[in-house]
Amino acid sequence: MKVFPEDLLYSREHIWIRIEGDLATIGITDYAQENLGEVVSVELPEADSDVEQDEPFGAIESAAKGVVELISPVSGQVISVNDDIVDDIGIINSDPHDTGWLIVVGMSDLDELDDLLDAKGYHDFIVQEAESE
Amino acid sequence: MCLRASENMAADEAVFLLSRDRISPPTIRFYAWLAPAVSIGRFQQIDRDIDLAACRKRSVDIVRRPTGGKAVFHGQDLTYAVVGVEQRDGFPADIIGTYRMISRCLIRGLLELGIEARMAGEGRALPETPAKASCFSTPSRYELLVQGRKICGSSQVRSHGAFLQHGSLLLAFDPLRTGELLLPRSEGRDEQIAHLRQAVTSLGDEGAPLPAMEALCLIMKTGFEAALGVRLEEGALTPDEEALKERLLRDKYTNDQWTLRGRMDG
Repeated sequence: MKVFPEDLLYSREHIWIRIEGDLATIGITDYAQENLGEVVSVELPEADSDVEQDEPFGAIESAAKGVVELISPVSGQVISVNDDIVDDIGIINSDPHDTGWLIVVGMSDLDELDDLLDAKGYHDFIVQEAESE
Repeated sequence: MCLRASENMAADEAVFLLSRDRISPPTIRFYAWLAPAVSIGRFQQIDRDIDLAACRKRSVDIVRRPTGGKAVFHGQDLTYAVVGVEQRDGFPADIIGTYRMISRCLIRGLLELGIEARMAGEGRALPETPAKASCFSTPSRYELLVQGRKICGSSQVRSHGAFLQHGSLLLAFDPLRTGELLLPRSEGRDEQIAHLRQAVTSLGDEGAPLPAMEALCLIMKTGFEAALGVRLEEGALTPDEEALKERLLRDKYTNDQWTLRGRMDG
């Protein structure tokens, strides 16, 4: 089983989030990228657009011909989008928790962070999810 | 049921979105297309991946699916759409696992027609070719092959634990027409069509008796029932699904922003 970075929070939709003040950097977890397989396309919101907790903020397609909607863990305004993905989409697979980040959101409601999991909670969640299949 | 391309996609997405909201039950739709159509994957670039002018010249409908994957010419095929929720309905929580489960259902149905299909193995079973904008040019894992030739292509979209899987089971295959519509560049087209002819098969090519469309739907339905151990109830769209279908038809599937660009904004 994978080890997940302790300095991140995680959603049950397999999104990680790194908090710095009221800014949240967001990406997909290593577990998610492994299940997806090779990422071939991604659609992300534009800077200055709004995202809402538990609503899709984009979508990602894998070589297995499956599109998965990306569900935002927080609400707020998109501050920046990772342009490096345009040049090398492979970083979402090769370095999902760092250079493969997707967007930075200026959070509008810090209380929403209470709904997220720490590394151990996320680990337990995916173990439970695997066992229920 | 035979609808236009835009109506088929609107109906499938309506059932998917209402399943995502845990309102609709697990659903399987089998359908044909009222007029020949090309469906393209959610992320495809229309001017790069199909021959738009050829489609228009032939009065072929064009629709962008909510699901991934590549372009499909719906000339003589049976399309299916399966919608479910992972844990609620007993489907796997991942793309590949869901393909595998649904492929087992299709294999059972095809056996009733005397066709022994099997799932493509790990990775892509055939090398990539220049014809890769066509769904049928290369099988993905757990798609269905008959003696190494692809007979059914599939794609998915997933959100909030729900999924929609589309698939196209070929009743007959016309490599020339498929190449004309799906291959935008003339260079190398003959080689690509030759590859399609070699890599793709159909119920007709396999010598299966071709029942009327309704009878074929019933046969494939029994395949799902046998493989999943369930009994499927026939039904129509619910009033909620019908209302959402109409909204999606108006706002999305007859909107060139979606069809041509794949985005609704701007």
